[in-house]
Amino acid sequence: MIINHPLLGPRDAAEFIYLGDAALIDRPDWQAEDAMQQFHDYAYLRDNPAGPHRELWYHEQGDRSWLVVTRDTTTHEITDVQMARDVARSRGRDK
Amino acid sequence: MPDYTLISTPPLAGYDKIFGTTRLHAPADLAIVSIALPLGAEDAALKAVKSAYGAALPEPGRSTLTKEGARLVRLGSDQAFVIFTHATPDAERAVATRLKGTAYTTDQTDVWTGLEITGPDSRTVLERICPVDLHRDAFAEGDAARTVMEHLGALIVRTGEDTFLLLSASSSANSFLHAVETSIRNTS
Repeated sequence: MIINHPLLGPRDAAEFIYLGDAALIDRPDWQAEDAMQQFHDYAYLRDNPAGPHRELWYHEQGDRSWLVVTRDTTTHEITDVQMARDVARSRGRDK
Repeated sequence: MPDYTLISTPPLAGYDKIFGTTRLHAPADLAIVSIALPLGAEDAALKAVKSAYGAALPEPGRSTLTKEGARLVRLGSDQAFVIFTHATPDAERAVATRLKGTAYTTDQTDVWTGLEITGPDSRTVLERICPVDLHRDAFAEGDAARTVMEHLGALIVRTGEDTFLLLSASSSANSFLHAVETSIRNTS
């Protein structure tokens, strides 16, 4: 499998490690009223789609960047790769 | 206090071998200093690099050879290496002084080992162990990539027509050398 890194071009999947669902970017607010419930859902509840899945990959043997990869779990076809930093910023994160 | 001096002993110091038309050697006195661009102050750091070295820090995946012979390698959006020849153990200070505190610098000299492979068959040797496409059209002179070779993290820079600088961890220097030597023997 080859991941087309937005900055560095096509790279072998052996250079990356997989973390999981890209929803992990949206960490709940620990001061919210229902923080306990939100963190429970954040930590334990995952969709398990047969089809396109947005997930986090870490370019460990490369530039150490986090990527959001859209991969079809039935075919391994990768349709989109973005820098996780850009995704987080577009969701209102400051770093 | 006893008076003592430390003697630098790079793991592959003095290594230089010729296999047919391929030469593999460990460049002497190779110094490596990393530059991390501070979050929010990237522009000031980039400007400082340009005025200190007379060359702009290139795009990620590219490297530039400065007039004085230092190589600036951009590894990612906010990280870079300066690779140069420097015999004394104060490479980090040499770079930090020139950048005037605009970026974070760390000495990497001791943790990396360098090998330079040159010869018309260098690509044939490397394509067996390097997952990055090294075709002339895909990997131009000056291109650089951080990748894995034989499970060892490595940095490869194309420094000439048929010349590549390979860097890997000094703790596994001899395993890395063995991987490259084996590939040379397998393809010759």
